Amino acid sequence: MRLFSESVKGFERLCVAVCGGLLVSTLVACGGEDKKAANGPDFARQGDFPSTYVPQESAPVLIRGATVLTGTGEKLLNSDVLLEDGKIAKVGKDLKVPKKGLVVEGAGKWVTPGIIDVHSHLGDYPAPSIESSQDGNEMTSPNTAQVWAEHSVWTQDPQFPLALAGGVTTLQILPGSANLFGGRAVTLKNVPGRSVQDMKFPGAPYGLKMACGENPKRVYGGKGTLPSTRMGNVAGYRKAWTEAAAYKEKWENFHKNGGDEPERDLQLETLAGVLNGDILVHNHCYRGEEMAIMMDIARDYDFQISTFHHAVEAYKVADLLAENKVCAAMWADWWGFKHEAFDMTEANIAIVDQAKACAMIHSDSAVGIQHLNEETAKAMVAGQRAGFHIEPRHAVAWMTSNPAKALGIDEVTGTLEKGKMADVVVWSGNPFSVYSKADKVFIDGVLMYDRTDSARQPHTDFELGILDAEGERLPEGGQQ
Amino acid sequence: MRISMNVKTKLKVSLFSLVCLMGSAHAETILIKDAKIVTLGEQGTLDSADLLVRDGQIAQIAEDLGDIPADLVIDGRGKVVTPGLIAPSSELGLTEIGAAASTNDGAIEEQSIGAGFDPVVAFNPRSTLIPFNRAGGLTRAVVLPYSSEKVFAGQGFAIKLTGDFDSVTKPNLVQRAYFGEYGAELAGGSRAMAYAQIANALAQAKEYSENRDQVRRGEWRELDYSVEDLESLQPLLRGEQPLMINADRASDILQLLALANKYQLKLVLVGAAEGWMVADQLAKARVPVVIDVLGNTPDAFEKLGARMDNAALLHDAGVTVAISGPGYAGSHNSYLSRQAAGNAVAYGLPFEEGVRAITANVAQTFGMDAGVLAPGNAAELVLWSGDPLEVTSFAELVMIDGKPQSLVNRSTRLRDRYLTPKAGTEHGYKK
Repeated sequence: MRLFSESVKGFERLCVAVCGGLLVSTLVACGGEDKKAANGPDFARQGDFPSTYVPQESAPVLIRGATVLTGTGEKLLNSDVLLEDGKIAKVGKDLKVPKKGLVVEGAGKWVTPGIIDVHSHLGDYPAPSIESSQDGNEMTSPNTAQVWAEHSVWTQDPQFPLALAGGVTTLQILPGSANLFGGRAVTLKNVPGRSVQDMKFPGAPYGLKMACGENPKRVYGGKGTLPSTRMGNVAGYRKAWTEAAAYKEKWENFHKNGGDEPERDLQLETLAGVLNGDILVHNHCYRGEEMAIMMDIARDYDFQISTFHHAVEAYKVADLLAENKVCAAMWADWWGFKHEAFDMTEANIAIVDQAKACAMIHSDSAVGIQHLNEETAKAMVAGQRAGFHIEPRHAVAWMTSNPAKALGIDEVTGTLEKGKMADVVVWSGNPFSVYSKADKVFIDGVLMYDRTDSARQPHTDFELGILDAEGERLPEGGQQ
Repeated sequence: MRISMNVKTKLKVSLFSLVCLMGSAHAETILIKDAKIVTLGEQGTLDSADLLVRDGQIAQIAEDLGDIPADLVIDGRGKVVTPGLIAPSSELGLTEIGAAASTNDGAIEEQSIGAGFDPVVAFNPRSTLIPFNRAGGLTRAVVLPYSSEKVFAGQGFAIKLTGDFDSVTKPNLVQRAYFGEYGAELAGGSRAMAYAQIANALAQAKEYSENRDQVRRGEWRELDYSVEDLESLQPLLRGEQPLMINADRASDILQLLALANKYQLKLVLVGAAEGWMVADQLAKARVPVVIDVLGNTPDAFEKLGARMDNAALLHDAGVTVAISGPGYAGSHNSYLSRQAAGNAVAYGLPFEEGVRAITANVAQTFGMDAGVLAPGNAAELVLWSGDPLEVTSFAELVMIDGKPQSLVNRSTRLRDRYLTPKAGTEHGYKK
């Protein structure tokens, strides 16, 4: 039971997400539209803590003769992938070997886009898990839209390099799920950084974490304040969106007509950023009924929900998700830790996918994030057993291009299309095998992880001299 | 992709399952032909062989049994037979929904009893967790209490996953306790106190057994534990029941080995994240370990040495390794020990040892008569669609005591109801 309680704690880490001004066109792709008035107020505040991530200069990389899953639905046999200037330069047969740079022999190996996890708490709930490092859930008010997950990120969390060894190149860090509005989520590149800004995905829109169901009503009902019921939850959302709409209008009037500058409210600013389409809603929501209610609220207040997270019952409303262009991020087989997670089917992702909604795997776990390829494989097989024709070339999108869509970064990463960021994993074999491992992981064309070269395996500050004063956490050659 | 299945083969499989079930009432002999068979016994692994089940037992395993007559013949080509999976640590039948207190019977609060707590009468064989885990290939499990107050949690028991009312196979199987960080928390803040409480309880249990009559007549000094607790520790002192206890840090493990030596306890170590650092000592003490292979994050200071190849290193040193379901997935997914074992193999554990760690080694650790396929043994086995440790494989046939088990569960029922979700009321009438 202790293990169980720990799992529940994980699920209390509720989330939020948003689309950003720098990638307005991708916002359209994830179902919204550009509602931002030209020169209108800046609610998203992308510039307040700007990304300082700059990829190292890197020589070209040619991965030669591999099986390539492009993330766009194709499986290419015996093909090459060329990375140049941090971008995907070319995918095809018999590409010319660059004059300088790295040639990776791909015989027997598979290549995919880097894995993207839309739901993580790394850095906010770092390892080791001790009381003073639990920074992911501001459980002091049902609406904490003013808090930003990035302000809690401990960049030295040793779980970041473990996720990298699992092929994860991009991840969204969300606040927990205790609150109706948990705060802003941030999208990171999985690179070592001294500051969170060093890891921030350039231009990625912010997310707003919202939560349905049991968690908010339990946390606040327990304190004798609203919400203590699911209907209380909904009243809380509607009240906040009503206030946010008025706030947005006030600022837009000021921008248009001048006059006295309205008072700035950090909480309403985040919600207004959703209403003008700059910030993406990432909504922890298990039940079909609640997803349907949330989509009505979104229509009423004229915003777009990017993604329902956890979404154990997404399969029940998959047609509604497709119609409303809302993604669902799911587990392969977790269930039963609470009532709203009781109606699990292993075919969840496949059913959502076959209903033409945007489906993806997610982890919400420092362990699960290291095995998203295996989790995707299980979900794919569950779909095949349900009678759907689903192959790896299609299922790979559940861990790459679909989460990129959910995060509003699909124009720049998530597939192996020319011109996209060279976020690439070379697998030892078919990634949908338990025996395959990420051999090499490139982020923006830079070799960030190499299983065969300990000099290209990052370690956090925390890991130095910790079990052996003269060594690292694990002995040389130790398998993390 | 190793496994690919279209609609046609799916129907075949459904039909296949149906035949098995319908046949189960009458099929006294079942023949699986031309499968790879991982016996984990004297016959080793046979790449293509036949297995005959008669009257609930394995009658024969041989490379070719020819056209031996059988009530049901199953084509095993391309498939793999293993013993049924056994969960070394679960709450199956003691929990339904984790966060719904009324559905949980695994622990007590504010009671004087600790080691004497025995939840076996609370076991619910009709729990939804049982058909789901059985469909994942799990045929047996160790079911354990847990504790949020005392270092001794109480008695664990063993079950078969038939779902029958008489499916507890052994009560009073094991005593559950905690050391390390969690034990320290329960004992008031220090490992030293957890250690003292365990040692003191054992010492007093010994004192009690030597002076039982006086204690009961009230003619002995007052002991710190109830008679129920002291009685329940007797099988430990007699070496009849193992003490299943947590420790992850290498130094904690060594302290437990010393304690076990002092009281001549049979230990089963749970966790052992840093077990690889003291693998030789564990092997020498013949202490088996139950490990969470996927738990490689240093998510506690007692687990700084956690690593993916712990299973392989322990095995290499000669330690008996049992692999549990991943801790993060909980009891509801106990059958995922299979995925964990696959990962252990990916990180150096030999394949056959990976299978053994989720079957025979668990049986051996807890004294169960299971986990090996051999003539004369109960027919408790799984026919897998492919490599039994591969995430793309699945159980096509699960047999307990020669009976093919239903593989239907809420996951498949909900799937079939909502395969093509749409507006309207029809879903409410789908079975």
